[in-house]
Amino acid sequence: MLRVSDLSARFADYARQRMPGARDVRVEDLERIFGGASRETYRLRLCYRDGDAERERRLILRRDPVGSLIETDRRIEFLAYRAFHGSVVPVPEALWLEEDGRWLDQPFFVMEELAGLESRPQMLMAPPYAEHCEKLGVQKWTILGEIAKADPAALGLTDAMPVVAPDDAWKRELDHWEGVLDADEVCPQPIIRAVIRWLRRNPPPPAQRISVVHADYRTGNFLFDAEGRIHAILDWEMAHLGDPLEDLAWSINRIWCWLRDERRGGLLPKERAVSLWEEASGLRADPRALHWWELFSCVKGQGIWVSSAREYESGKNQDAVLALAAWMQMNSQDRAALELMGHLS
Amino acid sequence: MKPDISRVLEVLAGTLMVDVAPNVTPSYRQASVFANALLLTNIREELDRIAERRVEENRALRALFAQAAPDIADAPLRARLAEAAESQEPSLRISALDASNAGLRQLAIELHAYVEAQDVPAARRIEASLWRELAASTERRKLGLGAF
Repeated sequence: MLRVSDLSARFADYARQRMPGARDVRVEDLERIFGGASRETYRLRLCYRDGDAERERRLILRRDPVGSLIETDRRIEFLAYRAFHGSVVPVPEALWLEEDGRWLDQPFFVMEELAGLESRPQMLMAPPYAEHCEKLGVQKWTILGEIAKADPAALGLTDAMPVVAPDDAWKRELDHWEGVLDADEVCPQPIIRAVIRWLRRNPPPPAQRISVVHADYRTGNFLFDAEGRIHAILDWEMAHLGDPLEDLAWSINRIWCWLRDERRGGLLPKERAVSLWEEASGLRADPRALHWWELFSCVKGQGIWVSSAREYESGKNQDAVLALAAWMQMNSQDRAALELMGHLS
Repeated sequence: MKPDISRVLEVLAGTLMVDVAPNVTPSYRQASVFANALLLTNIREELDRIAERRVEENRALRALFAQAAPDIADAPLRARLAEAAESQEPSLRISALDASNAGLRQLAIELHAYVEAQDVPAARRIEASLWRELAASTERRKLGLGAF
């Protein structure tokens, strides 16, 4: 791993090349942010002179790690931020994408930092955030409905993201995540394997429309303030085109019941979340289709948790968050699947 | 070992969370120390039951295979079920118990897939037994820190 001082100096070199009109370019206060298991995430202040004026930008640097929870495409993540910036779906401004490893050894991208905000789900358990759970929930599922409603072609994302037919979206995703399990499974998964067989025997109806799917839309992946306002949706690294019910199902997965009650994402009951999403998206969450996608979410979740265990065991990435994610979520994910299958005692 | 391993892990985790983490900079390192302390807390929770859980689960699967085997028409699968039902733990080391557990759970997957495709009452009984055991296994494996 690059030392912080080296990273600061090398990023300053990069910024100089990106900003040929700027003088005295330097990086201050670069520090790594904990938890970004799919990318190394840093915050920094980029200071420079623009003519006679001193300027400063607070930036986020997302750099590919050697190993991560999930294999993702940084270009797609960058383009998703770009596509939604300035729309009703709040996101930070994405500035630079660099796929050449000569600057920081690994590809990376840069976006603005929205400072002074919170994202950690555990903060919802206490003041000043706890009183805003409902307000946050209303925004969370309304924004998700807006993502479902957005036209991927108009956003310019159909060139970057593989297009899928409405009746094929389920199969492509299931094939992908079953493949992840096949490749990374650290121990047999009898519950999730049974779920996969059920999903293949009982395919869902075709997608009502093909939408942008954020693919990790959950509490923890948006920034909120102490007054209960959501300021940005983050972590678009798994974004793709697909059935919008995929996002809705993931957002209400049992494993995100952070407060250990019925509230999904620690915010709202499932029925309310679904209703808000339907209202905002103009789509219907057909119960049979949603059930299929909820079960699929358990397959996908287990794919992520076994991959994190595999990464940690392989020694490629021994960030504690990988081991914690695997230990804390694998069994919960199995229980979520059992509940949906009607077999949880 | 005295003091008890469990007690030592408790003290270690507490020291890391309360004494060490607050004095570590930058914030990434601090959060990392805290996360590693949480791992120790999980290890402490698992430690006392680590062998029992595996022995109990392996025993339950062997009993299930013993009951199921006579109703399985597929001769090779029936033979493997019978053999697994008669198998014993080679040792009580966790690595050995884990290896047995992996083999038994893999066989449970095969049995499950097989009975799902059979349209006879015995298959439904075996399927129900499998689901009961799988649900029981998640109870055994539950961690206090798990979300669900």
